[in-house]
Amino acid sequence: MQLSFKSGNIKVVILSAANEKMVADTGYRPDGQWHDVWVEVKFETHGIRNLRASLLGLAYWLTNNPTSRGLLVLVDSRITEDRLHHEWKLAQQTLHPEILERMAVAFAKKKHYVGLPRDLGDDFRVWLDQLVLKESREGKPRESFYAILEVLLHQWLLGKGPMTSEWIMKTVGCSYPTVAASLRRLESTLLRHSDRRVELRYFPKDEWARLLAVSDEVRSTTRFADRSGQPRSVDSLLNRLKRLGRSDIAVGGVIGARHYQPALDLVGTPRLDLSLHSRGKNVDWNFVKQLDPALQETKRRDEPAPLVIHLVRRVRTLFEPGEDRLPWADPVECLLDLHEGRLESQALEFVRSFRTAKRQTS
Amino acid sequence: MNGRADLRLVSPRAVLEQVAHAIPKDCRANIIIIGSLAVGYHFFGNDPSLRVHTKDIDCLLSPRIRALPTGKAVTERLFGEQWTYRVSEEWPSPGHAGTPNDKLPAVRLNPPGSTEWFVELLTVPESSADRKQQFSRLETTAGHFVLPSFGFLSIPEYHPIPTDFGIFIARPEMMALAHLLEHPVIGAQTMSTEIAGLNLKRSNKDLGRVLAIARLSDGPSIENWPILWMEVLQNKFGDEWRSLALKAGAGMRQLLAPENEPDFLEVRHSCEYGLLVSQPPTLDQLRATAERLFQDAIEPFEKLAR
Repeated sequence: MQLSFKSGNIKVVILSAANEKMVADTGYRPDGQWHDVWVEVKFETHGIRNLRASLLGLAYWLTNNPTSRGLLVLVDSRITEDRLHHEWKLAQQTLHPEILERMAVAFAKKKHYVGLPRDLGDDFRVWLDQLVLKESREGKPRESFYAILEVLLHQWLLGKGPMTSEWIMKTVGCSYPTVAASLRRLESTLLRHSDRRVELRYFPKDEWARLLAVSDEVRSTTRFADRSGQPRSVDSLLNRLKRLGRSDIAVGGVIGARHYQPALDLVGTPRLDLSLHSRGKNVDWNFVKQLDPALQETKRRDEPAPLVIHLVRRVRTLFEPGEDRLPWADPVECLLDLHEGRLESQALEFVRSFRTAKRQTS
Repeated sequence: MNGRADLRLVSPRAVLEQVAHAIPKDCRANIIIIGSLAVGYHFFGNDPSLRVHTKDIDCLLSPRIRALPTGKAVTERLFGEQWTYRVSEEWPSPGHAGTPNDKLPAVRLNPPGSTEWFVELLTVPESSADRKQQFSRLETTAGHFVLPSFGFLSIPEYHPIPTDFGIFIARPEMMALAHLLEHPVIGAQTMSTEIAGLNLKRSNKDLGRVLAIARLSDGPSIENWPILWMEVLQNKFGDEWRSLALKAGAGMRQLLAPENEPDFLEVRHSCEYGLLVSQPPTLDQLRATAERLFQDAIEPFEKLAR
């Protein structure tokens, strides 16, 4: 997510088309923008190789933004000032002086900064504190926790019964301490069995509400808008998806919810929600162009998006095999999709339509 | 010819009906309307509120063996029904027995009491291998003319669609293919008449029509085009079909290249003041249409030919 400054708050930055292209070409994008200053925050960067990569990325960025400055902030880095000075000299021999003049590197440790350009002032400091917090692990949604919550909920909705910590570890792809910490956080909603297996007692409303608040970020939700003025129908996109024969893409949203609960009160299919299984850092979006070359990513929430894609990061997809080699996203993904599509009453009805949930609410 | 003449907004159905009624009954089955009027009639012939910008109604005489007698009968009947020869600077009057072929005009006739549009008679080439412009002398009681034929006019002749009025219209996808094959590159030749103040390159106008047809067609039907295109090329050009198919997308590809933006602007202009006048697309929307056309028709067509 790109962040910038507005009235003292962090806000999402909409990149220019040229910068979007640069991101696509180089895979690099800074973490935030404060007026004409682009900032990249790196945590615990101890190796020179990573430092060089960041400097080069920022230099590329500034080449594309000739009136901007760039700042690399090294948080809790073990790189010494002498070593940085040495690297900076090497960079001077390599990078264009005009670019290097617009670049700076600062160290940060416990909100104490060394090397910040003086002219940036106190307002910038306040903004930078927020950016560093946002980019830190504390500021980011705890993805593993929510992945574990989703798995517990999946098993509960489908009445699959209790599970072991090891099964959760293997399903989510996380360590035992992460599972143990997450289960402790969910303690009040858990039923622990004598054989140490666990399951949810009831629908964890509070944690679910927290997940909904950050689900876009947790699931890396990406929206695609039509730029042809003649949007393809959901059926057309679905037919093209079938032809791709991908087992790592599953159908969720309204269509997926209807698959699990055909009697659900859902009229029409406003958009296609897909869950894409992707464990890696880089996501290959080429298949979107195969569905429709007229689709283009949009950051605007108010723009109609015929296609919305959510990433599934856990090891086991929990996708359900479907017809035509097209899997179904799991019901928890579908439920999140309904909420994301603001179909709140249908989301509630969807949860209640599962037998386990019926027992709880009856 | 008035090089500044603007295109007129006409109702495809009304014009088609008027043309058909003026043509002798026994000739109607030999007439295939091609061009924007045919496209307009196909897609919104039933909606009188939708009109197309056009000035020339191209009538393709088919089959070739019937072209001269049909052309003679149609020309004489239209003159008899008070249609008038369309005078231009270059072609002030019909020819006579002593006029050499290269000085003879084509049959271009205005309907009675109107100069807003005219019909023009064309025919298909004698042989599919013959792609150059050919002119066959047409002798009538109203004077001597030529029937032009050129390029890929044999393609719109393939399985035309009957209308309510006894004459036929060419299939939109066949007209699209003919235009694609006609323009493997963006040519320098410009139109003889301005379109809404601009003198467009012919290739840009014709490739613009391909995109207009694609925008008016629905997605699933475009996915059928590669098979239909293969059929017509095999039927008309035999073994040559593969090499033709592999060239079909060349002009459109060139058009989409960023350096050819000025040509793409002309394409949009031709759509905006032509078939898409009721819902003119933005530049970006038209590019998206072109990209879909490649994905749904041109690339699968090339794949069939490989």
